[in-house]
Amino acid sequence: MSIEKTWSGINEQQDGDLSSLLQTARLSKLSSHNPLQKIRKNLLINMIWGVAICILYVFIILYFQIWQVQAAIAFVLIFSLWALYTSYLNYTKLKTTISPAVPVLEELKRHHQSITGWMHTQQRVALFIYPVSAAGGFMLGGVLGSGKPVAAFMNNPAMLIILLITIIILVPACYYMAKWMFNIGFGKHLNALQQNINDMEEEK
Amino acid sequence: MSEAAFLEQVRQNQGIIYKLVALYANDAEEKKDLYQEVLLQAWKGWPAFRNDAKFSTWLYRICLNTIFTQKRKKHRIDYKDSLENISPAVQNSSVQKEDAVRLQQAIRQLSETDRAIISMNLDGYETGEIAAILGISNNHVSVKLHRIKQQLANLLTQ
Repeated sequence: MSIEKTWSGINEQQDGDLSSLLQTARLSKLSSHNPLQKIRKNLLINMIWGVAICILYVFIILYFQIWQVQAAIAFVLIFSLWALYTSYLNYTKLKTTISPAVPVLEELKRHHQSITGWMHTQQRVALFIYPVSAAGGFMLGGVLGSGKPVAAFMNNPAMLIILLITIIILVPACYYMAKWMFNIGFGKHLNALQQNINDMEEEK
Repeated sequence: MSEAAFLEQVRQNQGIIYKLVALYANDAEEKKDLYQEVLLQAWKGWPAFRNDAKFSTWLYRICLNTIFTQKRKKHRIDYKDSLENISPAVQNSSVQKEDAVRLQQAIRQLSETDRAIISMNLDGYETGEIAAILGISNNHVSVKLHRIKQQLANLLTQ
C-alpha cells in the first residue's frame, strides 16, 4: 500500500461529530476543558474562599480579646492576604488560550511551568500558614474549652508538648495530603507533558 | 472577520482536525472533547489570524498545541475493536478502508511526538516547516523522520 495515498484518502473524509460542531449556534456554547482553564477557575474559587476566611480572621481578632490568639491569627491573616494577592497575580497572568504563533515545545513548557508554579505556590503557602494556623486554633480551642486564659492554659508543660506534636503531625500531613491530591489531579498530565518535552529536546 | 467565514475555513480544512484527533484520542468521548477544544481554541485565536499566513498551517499549530496540552486518558485502546468508533468516516472501498485502518493503527503505535512529525510529513510539510511548528532543530526532525519511517515500515509489514 502507498502510505501517502492512503493518508491523503483519510484527509478527504468527513466526521459527523466534527461536522455537527461546525455550526454558528454551537460555537458560542463551547466551553474549554483545558487544564489551565481549570486552574484559573480554582484560583478564582480560592480567592473567594480567601476573602471569606480573611473576614472570619478579622472577626476572631476583634471578638476574642486574647492577645496570643490575636497575634497568631493576625500572622495567619497577613499570610492569607499575601496568598490572596499572589493568587490574584497568578489569575491575571495565567493565559488559558492556545497560541497558534508559539511552537509546540514552547507551549508545552509554558503549560508545565504554569501548573508546577501553581503547585509550588500552594505548597509554600501551606508550609507558612499551617503551623501558625494550627497554633492559633489550638490556643483558641483550649481557651474556649477550659475557660482559662491562654497564659494559664499554656503554662501546663503537657499543653506545649501536645501543641508541638499537633504541629509536627498536622503540618507534614496537610502538606503531603495537598501534594497527593495535586498528583491525583495533575500528576499524570504533568508526566505526559514532561515526556513529550524530553522527547522533543533529546537530540541523539 | 465573521464567525461564518471562520467556520467556512474550518470546514475546508476539517480533514486536519479529523486526522490529528483520530491519532491521539483514546475513545469516542475523548475524540469529541478534543474536537470541541480545538474548535474553541481556533475560534479564540481567529481574531489574531492574518491572511498572509496559510490557514491550514495555522490550524495545524492550533491542533497540535491543543492536543498536546490537553489532559488525555493514558491507556491506549485496542484498535481492532474500536477504530470504527474513532474513524466512522472511512467508508470507501473495503481495501482502502482496511489500508486506512492499518495506517492509523501503525501511526498510533508511535510516540506522541513521532505521530505529529509523520502526520506533518505525510501532509507535505518540509523538514524546516515541521521544525518551526514543533520548535526543534531541522537536524532533529530529519533524524527522527528517518527513524519513524523505518519504524512505520516495520509496523506495516508485521
